[in-house]
Amino acid sequence: MSTTTSRPRSTRRVRRPLAAVTASFAALALAACGGGSGFDEGGGGSGDGEEGAGGETGGGTLEVLIGSSGDAETQSVTEALEAWSAESGTEANLSVAADLPQQLSQGFAAGSPPDVFYVGVDHFAGYAANGSLEPYADQIEADFFPALVESFTYEDTFYCAPKDFSTLALVVNNTAWQEAGLTEDDYPTTWEELSTVAEQLTTDGQVGLSFGPEWQRIGTFMAQAGGGLVDENGSANVDTPENVEALTYVQEMLAAGTAAYPSEVGAGWGGEAFGSGAAAMTIEGNWVIGALTNDFPDVDYTVVPLPEGPAGQGTLQFTNCWGVAADSQNKEAAIELVRFLVSDEQQMAFAEGFGVMPSVESVRDRWTEQFPEQAAFIEGAEYAQGVPPVEGISDVIGDFNAQLEGLASGDPQQILTSVQGSLEAVAP
Amino acid sequence: MTAVAEAPARAGDAGGRAAGRRSPTTRRLVTTSFVYALLAALAVVYIFPFLISISTSFKSNADAAANPLSLVPATFTTEAYERLFLNSDFPLWFQNSVIVTLAVTVGRVLFDSLAGYALARLPFRGRGVVFAGLVAVMAVPSVVLLIPKFLVINTLGIYDSYSGLIIPLLADAAGIFIMKNFFESVPASVEEAARIDGAGTFRVFWSVVLPMARPALVTIVILSFQGSWNELSHFIVASQSQELFNLTKGVAQLSSGALSQGTQYPLKLGAAVIMTIPVAVLFFVFQRRIMNASAGAVKG
Amino acid sequence: MTTARPAGTAAPHRRRRPGRGIQSGQAAAGWLFITPMLVLLGLFLVLPIAMAAWVSVSDWTGRGNPFGGAASYVGGQNYAELLTGGGLPQRDFATSLRNNAYYVLLVVPIQTALSLTLAILVNRRIMRGRGFFRTAFYFPSVTSSVAITVVFLFLFTASGAVNRVLSYLSVGGPNWINDPRGVLHIVLGAVGVDQPPAVLQSAPFLGLSWWQWLAGPSVAMCVFIIMGIFTTSGTFMLLFLAALQNLSGEVEEAAMVDGTTAWQRLRYVTIPMLRPTIFTVVTLGLIGTWQVFDQIYTGTRGSPGKTTLTPAYLSYETSFNSQQWGRGAAIAFILFAIIVVMTIVQRVVLAERDVVPARKRFYRTGQKGGEPS
Repeated sequence: MSTTTSRPRSTRRVRRPLAAVTASFAALALAACGGGSGFDEGGGGSGDGEEGAGGETGGGTLEVLIGSSGDAETQSVTEALEAWSAESGTEANLSVAADLPQQLSQGFAAGSPPDVFYVGVDHFAGYAANGSLEPYADQIEADFFPALVESFTYEDTFYCAPKDFSTLALVVNNTAWQEAGLTEDDYPTTWEELSTVAEQLTTDGQVGLSFGPEWQRIGTFMAQAGGGLVDENGSANVDTPENVEALTYVQEMLAAGTAAYPSEVGAGWGGEAFGSGAAAMTIEGNWVIGALTNDFPDVDYTVVPLPEGPAGQGTLQFTNCWGVAADSQNKEAAIELVRFLVSDEQQMAFAEGFGVMPSVESVRDRWTEQFPEQAAFIEGAEYAQGVPPVEGISDVIGDFNAQLEGLASGDPQQILTSVQGSLEAVAP
Repeated sequence: MTAVAEAPARAGDAGGRAAGRRSPTTRRLVTTSFVYALLAALAVVYIFPFLISISTSFKSNADAAANPLSLVPATFTTEAYERLFLNSDFPLWFQNSVIVTLAVTVGRVLFDSLAGYALARLPFRGRGVVFAGLVAVMAVPSVVLLIPKFLVINTLGIYDSYSGLIIPLLADAAGIFIMKNFFESVPASVEEAARIDGAGTFRVFWSVVLPMARPALVTIVILSFQGSWNELSHFIVASQSQELFNLTKGVAQLSSGALSQGTQYPLKLGAAVIMTIPVAVLFFVFQRRIMNASAGAVKG
Repeated sequence: MTTARPAGTAAPHRRRRPGRGIQSGQAAAGWLFITPMLVLLGLFLVLPIAMAAWVSVSDWTGRGNPFGGAASYVGGQNYAELLTGGGLPQRDFATSLRNNAYYVLLVVPIQTALSLTLAILVNRRIMRGRGFFRTAFYFPSVTSSVAITVVFLFLFTASGAVNRVLSYLSVGGPNWINDPRGVLHIVLGAVGVDQPPAVLQSAPFLGLSWWQWLAGPSVAMCVFIIMGIFTTSGTFMLLFLAALQNLSGEVEEAAMVDGTTAWQRLRYVTIPMLRPTIFTVVTLGLIGTWQVFDQIYTGTRGSPGKTTLTPAYLSYETSFNSQQWGRGAAIAFILFAIIVVMTIVQRVVLAERDVVPARKRFYRTGQKGGEPS
């Protein structure tokens, strides 16, 4: 969910190319004398003030780092920052990370992190545990969805303000739907129906359903079967009959050829498979709307809720929070900025800009009114499962995903047993 | 052995004579055509990826996906390049690569030649130990140093700066060997004459030795340029700001990170083509020397 | 950095040979000349190793100064976790070792054989266009691995150039870079062995079952294997060419007079004489192939199914993404040890062969050629 190809031109340019060599030698001399460690000793260290490219930040400019889903998101955030800067008089620089977790981790380790940044749930616990994040969220007054607050609470402390959220739903290609002789009454509401329509939609050169080989998509089936990653107490609970049933179902569809991973149809992700016509249905989140509008404007589609499984409805929700670095030189301004960014007005602006759902309940009705065609997504909020906020969860999910790539020829029970083992290690 | 020592090509006539004496002409013809055919086929395999990259970079996304094999774009477009140069940080990456590469090259030429000269010509106590140390240090695989380098760069306070990108790359044991070997291969008489005239060691080095060492210096320039232009892992661990991205780091992230952006092969291949050009130019200009340099350097 | 200074000044007087001001001046200059490089090498090659050694036995998670109290000593815990832990870290590490081992096993012999073949073909004396072929084969070696990886990712997409060519030959190509199936598993599957026999299900070594160890390189890894061969064969071809040109022409001529065929000359004269170079190429190959990083970082980041994960990439990923710096450093050290051991083993094995009586009288002569220093 990140992009590198196009972002607004960097506002700061490096001004000292020629001085670099001279500086190098000066720094070498300095280094040899053992001066100037980059490792920050706790909160108030030297920070990135006098170091290289970060050199201009000393005067209170905020560095903001995001992982962007595309031009639209980058644009919206840029505008928001500009508006805030005009209002507050504090400069804010936006950078778009190509690889957000890596850039954040490296920044934390180097003691020169950005001031404000996106934090995904899967990395949240790790950053909170090692003290990288400033727990400021209690200073923000907003009625966040309780499930989102839950996601950013570590050891009973609510750390950072949820930015917005998305859920997964079923996206259907209207043209393909009609060509297969299906009508609005045929939108699948059960697994059996899903299999049936997927089969009907599968033609030469078009697969019925496509979704990424990852828990972040296949987990919806686990939820519908009544399973999940953890139980109510937050303990690992992967190796369950419900989850086996879900994976077995997915495996059957893959084997039947009515469902396929995007890479098998020459696409990078579900939205691309769907937009390019290689798949007639996909399971994706709100972001797919913007992507389709940009990349495949001619595709006619409908978003419907995911079908019910044996245990009823189920989907997954994803969210980011606005993290503030514990090492930030300018925490007050950073928190001020976040307060602005999670305000009702900004949340709606982001929703319009790149199709996310506001993290506060106060604008829920406004949002539903404005985006009736996306009703399926907000409906999902009722029953969605989130990423468990457990330290080390991202490695476990990463491992799960790696095994899911081989699901077509793998053994669901074996996969779940091994994931259970890994998850137990971090969530006993 | 070294970059500069060009092995004299073995007299071609001897081989020709021998072959003529050996066997009937027809048989030789068959063998020769077979060898040519084999070589030509291999050459196609080696060159084709580069040709296809160039042609694909001028295709549209759809064309690239539909006709991955065709060497002529169905619709010729410079869209990929426009996007790279006008609507991305690519020019910045390029600029950074140039800055770092030039600085590293200049630095290495200077330090390698100084150190190589000292090891070859200046008797000082501890020279043997230093030399042994260099040999040991050269054996450390660079990838193993990824994490450690970050720690050092950060401790020294040069993380995320041009200094951090450049200075660690100046450490180059192999270059010292090339220079040392070269200096050992030239007679000392000229320098001695200069020294008798009363010139100091550094003066001798600067105005007598260095000009003489041009062939070896060119080798160092080539290796340093190529090495730092193509370097990736060091830049990953030494910086984080977007302003310090260079070509390899930028293109690598473009290649692996752009999930929601679709495949975009013309764009990626365009970036790959552009980043190959400087090295390719260097390669074709100094072709003969590079061939020898590389053989020498690897053997080092 | 330094200035020219008159000869003979500042001579330390403890030198035993009096009156040789020039020489002691030179000694000072020697240190002066070599100091910049020593500082650089010390700072960026020696010191890092010491620092990483500390981090590898610490519990540093990436915040605060690991050398100033933000990390505490945990002994061999990080190593134990990787080697005997039984958890995800161990399994990932074992997987990465397996992946890389297959990479080494395939790349090293093939690239050695291919580069030798190329060198012999290009070295033919009656050959026209030698320069062209040499250039063509060597060019991939000078380009950046990032650029080449991008190109290969394009060539090996599901409906890409390679599969297009295969389809002309009526072969259905796999979904290369996205196919996690092990090659050996595919072969076994073709003869009806889909599930591991019970005997292979135990996991006695580093927590990975025999069945997993024996998966072979994944189809995705094969792309990197092909790429590795493609990019390095040119460099090694040059090494062989240099050695071939140093070979004594008379030796071969003498062999010709004996009425041997070209193949026999190659087998019994040329190759034995190239032995030192082969040794060099294999050593360099072994060292290089255990360090696969750029391609993985650019291309797959370990996917599909972790089958392109390599220890070098895992070490990076563990430190910089998962913030388990201690474990990441430990992986780096184990990798270092593997490379050292491999090189030593290879040295010993080949050295033993050297002791076998030299049946060719030219053998000794050949050794002068390309012995690495």
